[in-house]
Amino acid sequence: MTSTETLQDWLALEHEAVWLYPVIGARFGALAERARTSYDDHGTVRDGLLARLHQLRVEPVPPALSYDVVRVRNKARALAAARQLERDIAAVCLRLAGDSTGDLRTYATRGLRRAALAELTWGGRPDAFPGLP
Amino acid sequence: MVISRRALLATGAATVVVAAGLGGAALGHRLDDLARNVGIEPHKEPDPADDRLIARVAADQNTLLAQVEALAVKHAKLGLSPFVAISTAHAKAVGVPAVVPDIAAPPANRAKAVDALVAAYSAASKARAADSVKAASPALARVLASMSAGLAQCARGVGELR
Repeated sequence: MTSTETLQDWLALEHEAVWLYPVIGARFGALAERARTSYDDHGTVRDGLLARLHQLRVEPVPPALSYDVVRVRNKARALAAARQLERDIAAVCLRLAGDSTGDLRTYATRGLRRAALAELTWGGRPDAFPGLP
Repeated sequence: MVISRRALLATGAATVVVAAGLGGAALGHRLDDLARNVGIEPHKEPDPADDRLIARVAADQNTLLAQVEALAVKHAKLGLSPFVAISTAHAKAVGVPAVVPDIAAPPANRAKAVDALVAAYSAASKARAADSVKAASPALARVLASMSAGLAQCARGVGELR
């Protein structure tokens, strides 16, 4: 897998995050502030990935036509969905860290750190090796 | 593609074993045992710069482990056992030196002790991120990047004990 393909996988997850967090915020008032912050953070990352892919003259993957709403039907499931999404982002960033060098590896390492901390925000516990299953 | 924890850490350990064989005497025979435990053979042609990098990371991480352990004993009510476990996993991944590093006694004041540990985890997280970019081996880069993220989580987790 090339680093460009991995960037596309990362972008697909950021599209999902930009969909997920407003849904969580709208459904669960107690999570609204956290959801707003996460939405803003992921929107920024998504825009950065779009810019990188455009620079590479690659057509970025679009958002999916639909996402699974059932997984956020109650607060506990919403928290779990957020943690899982952050873990998925950490995993793809970890893959990119190995597929790349220099600036792109730095970018991937920052993304991995951000996702690992976001997982804590949504109720996760510290782990020795975030991004690894 | 999902990268398995076992496969990735085994690759990192292989490089460490070679570092020991090339003169990293402080790493000792425990690294050979570690390699055998994960069923790997030492990498035949390791990058010498990676060997030096791992030796330095091993020294840093084992010093951090000693700090966390000392603080966990002195301030037992903080409940630092999850962080001791994480630092132990980090130290094992890069190699355990034969000699326990010397460290300063942890602060007697609880708040200062927590602050000191948060600072140590934060510094280690930044250092491992920088180390990841320097690594020649993709597997080593991943181990260090993941370790950096785990250390950042520890910094936040310990900070919440204030």
